[in-house]
Amino acid sequence: MSELSKSFEMECEILDRDHQELMQQIDKIAAVIDGNDDGRCAKLTPEMIKFAKQHFTREEALLIKVGYPDVKKHAAHHQNLDHKMETILELAAMADENSLAGEKLKSALKFFLADDIIDADLDFKSFVKDRDI
Amino acid sequence: MEGLHIHGAAHAYGDNQVLSKISMVVPGGELVCLLGPSGCGKSTLLRLAAGLEVLQEGSIVIDDVTVATKELHVPPEQRRIGLMFQDYALFPHLNVIDNVSFGLLGMARAKARAIARERLDQVELAHLTEAFPHMLSGGMQQRVALARALAPEPKLLLLDEPFSGLDTNMRASIRQMTLNVLKQSGVATLMVTHDPEEAMFMADRIKILGRGGKILQSGDSHEIYYHPNNEFVARLFGFMNTIKGTVQNAMVQTPFGPVPANGFADGEPAQVLIRPEGIVLSSGGQDGGESSGGIPVEVNSTHLLGHFSVASLKIAADRNGAQEFYVRVHKEFLPELAGRITARIDPEQSFVFADDATVPGEPMLDDLNILSPELKTLLSTGLEPQDKVQKQAEAAE
Ligand SMILES: [Fe+2]
Ligand SMILES: [Fe+2]
Repeated sequence: MSELSKSFEMECEILDRDHQELMQQIDKIAAVIDGNDDGRCAKLTPEMIKFAKQHFTREEALLIKVGYPDVKKHAAHHQNLDHKMETILELAAMADENSLAGEKLKSALKFFLADDIIDADLDFKSFVKDRDI
Repeated sequence: MEGLHIHGAAHAYGDNQVLSKISMVVPGGELVCLLGPSGCGKSTLLRLAAGLEVLQEGSIVIDDVTVATKELHVPPEQRRIGLMFQDYALFPHLNVIDNVSFGLLGMARAKARAIARERLDQVELAHLTEAFPHMLSGGMQQRVALARALAPEPKLLLLDEPFSGLDTNMRASIRQMTLNVLKQSGVATLMVTHDPEEAMFMADRIKILGRGGKILQSGDSHEIYYHPNNEFVARLFGFMNTIKGTVQNAMVQTPFGPVPANGFADGEPAQVLIRPEGIVLSSGGQDGGESSGGIPVEVNSTHLLGHFSVASLKIAADRNGAQEFYVRVHKEFLPELAGRITARIDPEQSFVFADDATVPGEPMLDDLNILSPELKTLLSTGLEPQDKVQKQAEAAE
């Protein structure tokens, strides 16, 4: 990856910047798994999850500020990702030693970022994009 | 991003809304299965991605190129997709290698044949390049179809029930080979199936579609099977023992003891769904397992089905009661030689949902993925066999 695809752009600077940062952290974890970068999944992944949770909070605050009517539904969606994040952390704890865990982690991270985080946000793209935030 | 990105896709045939705002991502190298009953719109979604239907709402992007919106329709041949349907659709008058190189139009013949040979090698058919389709088994034809779909190096592969035409023994090996080849090729794959086991075997992520074309849950097979987020998803993976009750002190009472009510308020009607392997039997010892929380049961019947057995039982204290439970036990189960038997619920395999009374609590034996077709018939309560139900639903679509 490395650049956010056009179809994933929110056209809202704060959110796009956060999503971009998440993507870079996930790219780095994938590179470590593939042996193309130094570092440890067991350290990088909890940092990424921490950033993701901070992002969810920032995003919910922003949605409240702009009066997005479905903010509760979206906050519930974030909360429903708890189980997926737990699984990701479990895999990350094994991924540096176990290549199967590494491959599963890479796959889980791709879906987490693209399907669970960014695509779900596109529902409010048209609501936030023209606002001065 | 490499792969497929669908956002907000909706589709209706007249008044019949078959897809309601579907969104999904299939990253490059990953395989997503759309799993759902007939009529849930899963094939329509595949046809929309392929360009065989015109998108009415939303957007479809393949490898960063928008191929469909309300205003835009890129034709199928320009989408860089590979298609594989259950009937393979090989050209009967072309031999294997010409079938595979058919999609490589505009390429020098020698080069096209070299690529085709490479793909055939991947599916272990390099020795049959000159054979004609009618000379091949169903499994071989399917492998040719896979080689043909992958030959033009598509950005996205779309598979519609690709293994349903194969017999059970062949299906397992073809499915494994297909998965290996897809993973080697790194192509993004979207596959449609109504077979839960197939979805669990193949998918990196499963998307469950319910009636009306809504995504009910997305996750890997472990998450979907062990953490279904609603009754529909839980029941999709086969028969469920169902116990109905009312929540009291944050618990639902069952004959096997109280089960935590999963957040439902006291007084609410709830149901506990337990997979057949979620009722754990014990025997032996002085009390047959009662001291470890088991409830005495009486086994009415047991059937050995190879590497597991299926048994039906009643709670001993309620032997005249109507409720019968179905249990799946690993290996052979011989209650006639076991003495006193007790049962308890495995919390990992039991789920509490609201009881909206729309789904009958009776065992739906045709739904029993745990049973062979013969035994389903043997134990049938008069429900139609699965494939007959399937065909009827398709005819009604
Ligand atoms: Fe977000
Ligand atoms: Fe979000």
